[in-house]
Amino acid sequence: MVDTTIALGQSSRRRGLLARRLAPHLFTLLFLAAWQAAALVAPSYLLPGPAQVAWRLWLFVTSWRDLGHLGASLYHVAAAIAISFVIGSLLALIPYYAPLLRFAIERRIGPFLNSFSAIGWTLLSTMWFGVTSLTVIFAISAVLVPFALVNMSAGLANIDPETIEMAGSFTRRRAWMFALVIVPSLYPFIFATLRIMFGVSWKVTLTAELFGGNAGLGYMINLARQEFDTATIFAAIILIIAFVHGLDQYVLAPLQAKVSRHYAG
Amino acid sequence: MRAEQGSFTSAVAERLIGEGIVVLALLGWWVVARGLPEFILPGPIVVARRLIELFATPEFLWNAFASSWRVLVSIAAALLIGGGLAFLAHGEPWLAGVVDDRIKPVLNSFPSIGWAILAAIWFNPGDFGVIFVEVAILIPFCLINIAEGLRNIDHELMEMGQSFTRHRARVLWRLTLPLLVPYGLSAIRIAYGIAWKIALVAELLGAPTGIGYLMLRAQTAADSTTFLATCFAIVLIFVAGERLVIVPLERRFERR
Repeated sequence: MVDTTIALGQSSRRRGLLARRLAPHLFTLLFLAAWQAAALVAPSYLLPGPAQVAWRLWLFVTSWRDLGHLGASLYHVAAAIAISFVIGSLLALIPYYAPLLRFAIERRIGPFLNSFSAIGWTLLSTMWFGVTSLTVIFAISAVLVPFALVNMSAGLANIDPETIEMAGSFTRRRAWMFALVIVPSLYPFIFATLRIMFGVSWKVTLTAELFGGNAGLGYMINLARQEFDTATIFAAIILIIAFVHGLDQYVLAPLQAKVSRHYAG
Repeated sequence: MRAEQGSFTSAVAERLIGEGIVVLALLGWWVVARGLPEFILPGPIVVARRLIELFATPEFLWNAFASSWRVLVSIAAALLIGGGLAFLAHGEPWLAGVVDDRIKPVLNSFPSIGWAILAAIWFNPGDFGVIFVEVAILIPFCLINIAEGLRNIDHELMEMGQSFTRHRARVLWRLTLPLLVPYGLSAIRIAYGIAWKIALVAELLGAPTGIGYLMLRAQTAADSTTFLATCFAIVLIFVAGERLVIVPLERRFERR
């Protein structure tokens, strides 16, 4: 009797697992079918079919010119993340070492940067620097700085004072202490910050490129928009989703988990 | 006593330095702007005057109102849809894969300008297109927060609730939703920030009204003064909304 209930429980659990595993694929198929059906009704400049978009995607990954745009976007994102991470971290470190400046950073500069619109930075930098890579990098960096500031401040606030005290009893050199104690205890936060910045940067990059860039996927989308080439727009969007999700899930997340395990434990 | 006095003086000094830096920044802006033509960088005084003028013109107020109500409607809709998706994934385990592995990653990595362009292609310029884009951008933030809340719900509390009643609706209303309030509030706060900072892009492409539209108009006319004044107006409206709506909301539910 007992055995049968266990067996029943196992088989129903297995069925549940199977349903759970199959459901996403079924959903994808249903979605593609619905898309195809809608594309049959709608004109192709409104909604190109999945096959048309897949073909455009193939053309995209085999064309050096298109890949060049992807490269330009990557360059913009990487440069902006590097710049804003350095600026945000420096801003976060200032009140840590000079508490008198805490109010200035946390109540004046931080909230201002945090509430200034991304569109504002984008259009403003277009007016200042013209249509160049600098415009795009400046606009993304300006949007990302508050994220770095908030996260790194949280990291600094989270450092164990006893560890600092212990380190202080070993050395009086602030540079050593910074390099050997403070930076390593910030590693988990550094990774979390970079991951958040990576996610946000892609949300802004295309906007910045569309209004102020002369290269990149945003620029490409803008050209496609003017030519009613909706398939290219879809292909670019799908490429970005795949790229952002893939990198975040398969590179950044495992890396972050590894670092957190190593340093937080 | 002395320690208290010391901390008081240091707080005053901190405050003075903070405001001093603001004054210095304004002074720096004024000095830099003096050497530059007005269409590149207008001075702080001109911009401040334009800002005051803006808040006195009915046209600007009307556009600000249009943007504000779109933001509020979008946050409510995104909270409902994102929360609904989170509940679906939580309540029906076989749907968890669909929400977590398909819907969430796609919405989360979808570029915001992508939505804006698609809406501009699909819909006529107007409120619906803008709200569609803003909702699409905000859904993942709400979904992630509410899902986190559902994951952290105390199971023993739920069990106790179920021992009192079999009505699922009553458990939901009396137990699950109140337990989710902090997560809902944090979702609202995040969505509010994103709406004003990023989702405003919706108004650049598909709207005949709104602050985004005003900004684009000022930028195309190379009217930097109006443009900067509008940027600062957004900062003011953002802060005012936070103080008048978000913070009271958080206080109200904190007391419970």
